[in-house]
Amino acid sequence: MKTILEVRNLETTFKQRKTTIHAVNGVSFSLRKGEMLGVVGESGCGKSVSMLSIVNLLPPAATIKSGEILFDGRDIRKMSRREVQHLRGKKIGMIFQDPMTSLNPVMKIGKQMIEALRYHNKLSKEDALKRSAELLDLVGISNPTERLNEFPHQLSGGMRQRVMIAMALTCDPEILIADEPTTALDVTIQAQIIELIKDIRSKLDSSIILITHDLGVIAGMVDRIVVMYSGYIVEEASVDDLYQKPRHPYTMGLLKSIPKLRGSAVSRLSSIDGSPPDLLEKPQFCPFAPRCSFSVERCWKENPALLTAAGESEESGHKTACWVDTRNGVEK
Amino acid sequence: MKEKIKTVNTTTNIEEDVIKSLDATPSESLAKDAFLRLIANKGAVVGLIIITLLIFIALFGPYITPHDFLSQNLEMRNQGLSWEHPFGTDDLGRDVLSRVIYGARTAVILSISITVISFIIGTAVGAIGAYVGGKIDAFIVWLIDLTMSIPSLLLVVVINASLKPPLMRWMETQYLETKNTIFRETIWVDFVLVFGSLALIKWPKAARIIRGQILSIRNKNYVTAARAAGVSTFGILTRYIIPNAMGPVIVLFSAILGEAMVLESAFSFLGVGVRPPMPSWGNMISDGLRVWHLHPHILAAPAGVLAVVTMAFSFLGDGLNDAFNPRQWD
Repeated sequence: MKTILEVRNLETTFKQRKTTIHAVNGVSFSLRKGEMLGVVGESGCGKSVSMLSIVNLLPPAATIKSGEILFDGRDIRKMSRREVQHLRGKKIGMIFQDPMTSLNPVMKIGKQMIEALRYHNKLSKEDALKRSAELLDLVGISNPTERLNEFPHQLSGGMRQRVMIAMALTCDPEILIADEPTTALDVTIQAQIIELIKDIRSKLDSSIILITHDLGVIAGMVDRIVVMYSGYIVEEASVDDLYQKPRHPYTMGLLKSIPKLRGSAVSRLSSIDGSPPDLLEKPQFCPFAPRCSFSVERCWKENPALLTAAGESEESGHKTACWVDTRNGVEK
Repeated sequence: MKEKIKTVNTTTNIEEDVIKSLDATPSESLAKDAFLRLIANKGAVVGLIIITLLIFIALFGPYITPHDFLSQNLEMRNQGLSWEHPFGTDDLGRDVLSRVIYGARTAVILSISITVISFIIGTAVGAIGAYVGGKIDAFIVWLIDLTMSIPSLLLVVVINASLKPPLMRWMETQYLETKNTIFRETIWVDFVLVFGSLALIKWPKAARIIRGQILSIRNKNYVTAARAAGVSTFGILTRYIIPNAMGPVIVLFSAILGEAMVLESAFSFLGVGVRPPMPSWGNMISDGLRVWHLHPHILAAPAGVLAVVTMAFSFLGDGLNDAFNPRQWD
């Protein structure tokens, strides 16, 4: 399949007075056409920052230090501001985490939805509104035309998130980036939104990047998963491989910490000891070593690169950044 | 209810619906919401009516005054209230009502100019600070603090003492050279000096509010979301930042308008503002104070009007604050 987005060695830092925070430290991944990619990791591991780097929507304090972001073979970083603006909304749609604050409170839903359509597709107001109503219908909002005439505060959280999704879909983007689309919603609404995203995927053939910190959320929907830790990708695998044979100690820890419905009732929920590392300094060793039960001497000296996991073929695409073969605890 | 059921049934026919919704009455907007809150507040409505009346009187002053505000009639000095002179006459036999009406004109012209000028300066400075940031922003914040620490009365006295005499001398020589009567109209010197110095003092408030609003709104999620949808920088500014920043700015505008009106009267009262024979409520109060025990109406008329107008601004300001204060929204 054709690769639509390729990120190579992306490095993003934040400047804070005199200190520098290394949020993303050389991340590389690719997205194929029609594929759904999950990005998993705990808060502050650089998931969102990597995605914002792609469309150049970083806050003023952040800068992309190095790396290439190839969209359809062209480097987004080398494009002019105008070109990037044409890309946003038109080719790359984004869904944000908090639907309560992601809509302009003083603008009617309809007016906000037609912004992108009128700018990118040069539609007339009537046509744009018609298309917006169709999209609201697609994301499961009843009475779409009535909703177009309402203000965000008149809608519930779940409905606002549906509106956000509809807005991201207005121009049939080739890539849809969903940044924790369910985090701010309660569980039943979460399930509905997840169903909606699956549904959209089957109806349109966009590639989707789904960011989450909840492995349970994406298990049944994505094709491949990238696990991030401390600004690095530590494991990358197809969804089945990742759940059945996780290779990086961090992924193993994450999977163990999902509460299980079956099994012994008295067993405690397992957790990963320690806390995420300080991002102020770029570590010269494996960032997970201080919390890792497999760590060997080498882990404290060198940072491992993301390589095909031991015992896996290159075609499987199962990669991990670890000095230890975690199947037997032996150093590679 | 019937209407609702009908729309539910026709959702499939989207095209027809959209065309209908375009002409449908708009649902409640936030601005309309705020307006309804304002209308529900009795004090604010009273304030709004008084201020509207004041502006109307100021605009049409020359057409509604019963007498000329300057013509003296020494036979009719210090008259009490009568049909001919509803507020009586002053110690030079001038009609007090006409002078109060012209005083309103002075007050409105001055306070609106002061407020508009301070908002123009404040918006420019505040927006530059918020957008450029860094050292320039730090300098602007420092300048705002510095300017706010200058006592307004002191500044006006200093400007009067230092700038006015040379300016007047210059105008006099211009008049002698050109014989152009423009240079005899010393009233404009007062106006320009008073509102110039007041605008210099009032802009920091506007700058501070506007800088804060832009800084906070620029980082809101909906602005990032709009940028992600491809909205241009100009669109972000005009459709996202400015409409969201309007609430506090409108409240401040009304507050500065009221303050400027009171300050103008205070300065004229102290003799550093608008000078006689041009009527201002301040200098009328000052005149009336000399004879208040003999002819109280000369003091009561301008003082009463000033009190009512000040109260009206205070009521309206409170009402606007309640109407636009987002903390009170659900």
